[in-house]
Amino acid sequence: MLELIDLSKNFGEIRAVDSVSLKIREGEMLGLVGPNGSGKSTLLKLMLGITRPTSGRVLMDGKELTERGWKELRKRIGYMPERVVFYDNLTGKETVALFARIKGGDPTRAEDLLKSVGLAHAAGRKVGGYSKGMRQRLNLAQALSNDPDLLVLDEPSSGLDPVGTKEFYAIIDGVRARKKLTVVLSSHILAEIEDRIDRVAVMKNGSLKAVGSLEELYTSLKLPLKVTLSVNGAGKEMAALLQNAGAMDVVIHGSRLVADVPRADKLKILSTLMERQDGFHDLSIREPNLEEVFFGVH
Amino acid sequence: MVFTDAMWAIARKELSDKLKSRWVIVIAVGFAFFTLVIAYFGGATSGVAGFRNMEATVASLTSLVTYFIPILALTLGGGIIADEHDKGTLEIYLASPISPAEFITGKFLGLAIALSLAMVAGLGISGLALLIGSGMKAFASYLVFMLNSAVLGFIFLSVSFLVSVLFRERARVIAFTVFLWLFFSVLYDLGLIGLLIITKGAVGNDVFSIFLTLNPVDVYRVINFLSIGELKVFLGLVSVDLPAYMKTPVLAAVSLAWVGVPLFMSYRLFKKRYLA
Repeated sequence: MLELIDLSKNFGEIRAVDSVSLKIREGEMLGLVGPNGSGKSTLLKLMLGITRPTSGRVLMDGKELTERGWKELRKRIGYMPERVVFYDNLTGKETVALFARIKGGDPTRAEDLLKSVGLAHAAGRKVGGYSKGMRQRLNLAQALSNDPDLLVLDEPSSGLDPVGTKEFYAIIDGVRARKKLTVVLSSHILAEIEDRIDRVAVMKNGSLKAVGSLEELYTSLKLPLKVTLSVNGAGKEMAALLQNAGAMDVVIHGSRLVADVPRADKLKILSTLMERQDGFHDLSIREPNLEEVFFGVH
Repeated sequence: MVFTDAMWAIARKELSDKLKSRWVIVIAVGFAFFTLVIAYFGGATSGVAGFRNMEATVASLTSLVTYFIPILALTLGGGIIADEHDKGTLEIYLASPISPAEFITGKFLGLAIALSLAMVAGLGISGLALLIGSGMKAFASYLVFMLNSAVLGFIFLSVSFLVSVLFRERARVIAFTVFLWLFFSVLYDLGLIGLLIITKGAVGNDVFSIFLTLNPVDVYRVINFLSIGELKVFLGLVSVDLPAYMKTPVLAAVSLAWVGVPLFMSYRLFKKRYLA
C-alpha cells in the first residue's frame, strides 16, 4: 500500500530518521516501537507528508507521490496525534463534524462515530468537560471521520488506564472487522501491542533495526524460550541435566529453576525432562515477547 | 481562488467561536458606545456638545478608529497558529487533504467576518443616530468611513497572521503585537513630523506621499479625509497638501495590497515553517 524508500530526515545536524525503507501492507496492523527519541513520530510525519524528507521517497500503490497525490492520499488517511486537547467550547459532535468536513468525510456520521467509540452519551457535551480518556476516544473518532483506509496512531493509549486501553483496541478491532483497514501505530508500551500487531518495526537512533512478524524476529534474533521448573530438592542435578542438554543461563531461586533454551533445542530438552520427571513437580515454557525483541535489537 | 467546503468549515468554526464567546457583541457595543460619545462630545473642547455635521464627526471618529481597530485586529489574529499548535490540532489539519492556502484563508475569512459584523453593528448603530441627528447630507461619507474602517481591520488582521506564523510563543506574539500597534498608530507619524521639521519641509509632496502609503493607518486616514472633501492631511498640528494622483481609487488599491501582501507572506512562511 505505502512504501517508504530510503527515507531520511535531518533537523539541522540531528539525523532524526536515517535511511528507513519500509513497506506497509494493506490490511495489516504494524507496530512501530522504539525508545523516546528514536524517530518514530518523525517517521509517522514523513509517512503523512506533514514533514518533507531530506532524502528518499514515499510511494503509494507503487507510484511516487506528487503534491496532488499527497492530497489524494490524505483523503484516505486518518491520523491520531499523540497530544491533542481539541476545542473546549465545541461539543464532541461538533468536533467530529468539523474534522469530517475538513477531511472530505460525512459530517452527518458524527453521532454514529461517537457511538462507535463509546461517546454517545457525551456527544452533546462540550469537550472542555471531557476526561483524558474521553478526549482520546474523541481523537480516534476524528481520525475515523473520513472512513480512512489507513489509520496512523501515535501513542494511542497515552494517558489511558488498562481498562481504557483494552476498550480502545476493541474499538479498532471492531472497525477492522467491518472493513479492510491498515493500521500503523507507534508505541513504547510493548506489552500492550504485542498480541495485537501483525508485524513490528523496531527503531533506534532514527534507524530501522528490525522489521517482521514477532515469530520472524524471534527466529532471526535467536531469542531463547524461557523454561521454568518447580524442582524437588536443591535442583542442582536438574540444572546440570538442562545445561548438558543445551540450556543456557540456568539460574536457581529456591525451588524455582529458570533456564534459557534455544528454540532449536526445545523438543530435545522436553524429552530430557520427561526422562527425569521425579526431579520436578511443575513446568512452564514461555515464548519470547516483544520486550525481548526490543532489547535483543538494542 | 476557489472557496472549498473545508475552507468554509474552518471559517464557520472561527466565526462561531467569536459569536459564542460574545466577542462580536462586546466589540459592537464598545464601538457603538465610543463612536456615539465621540460624535456627541467631539466638539466639547470648543464648548459645543451635540451631534455635529457628518464631516466633523468622521474626522473625529477617524482618530478613535486609528487607535482602536489596529490593536483589536492584531490581538484577534495574533495567536491563531500558536493556539492550534498548543492544542495539538495543527497536526490534524496538516495531515488532512486541505492545503496551507485553504487553512490560512479559512481562518482569515472567519475572523474577518467576525470583525466586520462587530464593526458594522457598532458603527452602524452610531451611523443611524447620526443620520437622525445630522440628516442625510454627507451620509455617503459615513458609509465610506465604515467600509474603510473594515478594510483597516482586514489589514491589521492580515498583519496579525504574519505575526502568528513568525512567533510560536504567545509572549512574543503579544510583545510584537503591542510594538506594531505603537509603531503604526503613533510612532510612524511622529517620525514623519520629525522628518518634516528636520528637513524644514524640504521633503517633497511626492516623497511624503510614498511615506504615507507605507503606513496603512495613514492610508486609511487620507481616504477618510478625501471622502469629506479635505485635501490636506492633518498630522497633529502639521498639514500637508496631497499630490493630485493621491485619489481614493489609488489609495484603495494600496489598502488592498496591505491586506494581500502580509497574508501571502504568512502563507509562504507557514509552508516553510510547518511543512519543511
